[in-house]
Amino acid sequence: MKPMKAFLSFLVLIISLQNVIGQEKPSPPEGMVYVPAGEFVMGSTYGDPDERPQQIASTKAFFIDKYEVSNAEFAKFDPTFKFSPEKKNNAVIVTWSKANAYAQWAGKRLPTEKEWEKAARGIDGRVFPWGNTYDNTYVVWDQKETRGTSIAKPASPYGCYDMAGSVWEWTADWYKPYPGNKVPMEQYGETYKVMRGGSNFNNHSFIRTSQRYYVLPEKIHVYPVGIRCVKDID
Amino acid sequence: MAMHKYHLLTLVTVCTIFAIPNIFAQKVNEFPKKTDPLYKKVEMFDRLMLGNHWNEGAIMQHVIFPPAGLEEPIVGSQADCLDPTSEMLAAYSHKYAITGDPKDRKIANDIFEAILKLEKVTGVEGLVARSFNRTNEPLWHEEVFWYHEWHQSSSMPGYRWLGDLSADKFTSIFYGVGTFWELCADAEYKEKAAALLDRFIGRVVDNNFKLTDLDGKMTLWGNFCPNLPHQELNSLEMLAALKVTHHITGKERYNAAYHMLIDRYHYDDHQINSKILFPKEWRNVGDDYHAARSLYMIMRLETDPSLLNKYRMNLNRHWYDWKDIEFTWESNIWFLMVYKVLTGEDIFTEEKKQGIKDMWGFERNTKEFKIPQKDGSFKMVRSEEERTAAAMIRNYWFGRYYGIIDEKW
Repeated sequence: MKPMKAFLSFLVLIISLQNVIGQEKPSPPEGMVYVPAGEFVMGSTYGDPDERPQQIASTKAFFIDKYEVSNAEFAKFDPTFKFSPEKKNNAVIVTWSKANAYAQWAGKRLPTEKEWEKAARGIDGRVFPWGNTYDNTYVVWDQKETRGTSIAKPASPYGCYDMAGSVWEWTADWYKPYPGNKVPMEQYGETYKVMRGGSNFNNHSFIRTSQRYYVLPEKIHVYPVGIRCVKDID
Repeated sequence: MAMHKYHLLTLVTVCTIFAIPNIFAQKVNEFPKKTDPLYKKVEMFDRLMLGNHWNEGAIMQHVIFPPAGLEEPIVGSQADCLDPTSEMLAAYSHKYAITGDPKDRKIANDIFEAILKLEKVTGVEGLVARSFNRTNEPLWHEEVFWYHEWHQSSSMPGYRWLGDLSADKFTSIFYGVGTFWELCADAEYKEKAAALLDRFIGRVVDNNFKLTDLDGKMTLWGNFCPNLPHQELNSLEMLAALKVTHHITGKERYNAAYHMLIDRYHYDDHQINSKILFPKEWRNVGDDYHAARSLYMIMRLETDPSLLNKYRMNLNRHWYDWKDIEFTWESNIWFLMVYKVLTGEDIFTEEKKQGIKDMWGFERNTKEFKIPQKDGSFKMVRSEEERTAAAMIRNYWFGRYYGIIDEKW
């Protein structure tokens, strides 16, 4: 398993370096970072069955929010949205349709699963946004302040914060099997949306960059799910 | 004036009509006084728990009385029901070890049978539910409390069950069932208890040390896997579960799994840091409870001095916090009892003994519940509710069993 993974990572690295060298890096809008086009290692060989098969996927270049959308930011879109003033910088928790509406209002959109995962782990198939080693201080595990305030403040390879922990993040995608996945699940289809990144209320494995979780888009109950938007590059 | 009297009479009549169902719904209403001796408080809270919290042998952590709640099945928050269920199972196991009374053993047997039902209701061997209700229809509290992980049972028609079992409930199961096996179960029930742990822990081992749900995915808090990052506490819980299951079933596979996790994955070293001490705000007494139950089970069974030393290091890290802990919560009191049982150190000062004598169960409160309606709106309904006294009752019989509590207290 390990030699295969190393080979895949090396291959992607070479291809991506060629792509990156050939790409001009556009300036991202305020609060966003640039993710170049190209291939990356997606999925895992050791997580839940729905993360398989590990594959080489690719995206176009895009911009993505550096932080999750805060309560105060969401309230600019929806003035009826209520929150206590001391939680203005906490990540907002909303249903999928509200998240999608916010993204459109902001001139952006929700990321696809591929875009989210690439922004979180870069091209080398790493387990966490900062690398392969877990550390409590790298993760936002409390609700006091949920934007970029883990003790060590590590960023993803492209400069995003809190893609592990804090709140889950909505993607645009329905929960479907990856191509080549043969493990049946009755939840696959167009009933559940995929959320990524884990929250401050689940075990450490759920903050892995390849972890997928499904939830009814309009009935999130007590799942804390928030928003991180992407923007296409013209 | 006559008119006012008429209104008063009407008001009293209406109040009485509404109050009667409440009185009948509350099977047990008699509470002890704070000044009562400990044994009397325990006796009365025990009656309240068995009368009002008994859900076909499983013990409810929280009961909402009508009109917001239901007469049958009783409802409330149910995600943590395995905690009071295992506490009452342990309580009655310790009690039976003292009294030898068949009535106490019968209650323990009935609670154990409910844990078997928590497995049966899922329809999957070794998959245990957090809780169940006898109902064909989804109940309103499913929409409000905890994650919506309720399922209609296919193996037990007419029941619904709550999934997504977590590491702390995993601990409740091996602690409660292990204690029952050790102190209370007769030959028939010893066999049933061993078979349950064999199926339950065996399924976790077969899934590479993960609690997996009906959908095949790891549960939100079900990670003991050597290939996945997990809390140090989970390493301790897994080792303790394997130790208990090997002891009870005699099956070598659990001993092999225990030593594999130690030799290849260093769970014995990893578990030492179960207690996060710094930063101070990360200290979590809720997690300490799961560590205390795990250490209590594993340290009495482990004979290897080197491993025992490592578990003692873990206990010492907890003691760093526990020695100064506020003696106000039933589980805190139990931490100290466990520490004394495991170390033999005499740590009970007069002040701490008084803390034990002052143990209390719960108050019955009135609260307004926001009940979802079928049209998507909410209705506010005011009802009485009560929490659990199971930890207090377990503490009492545990303390009596180990000679920490005097029967005259």
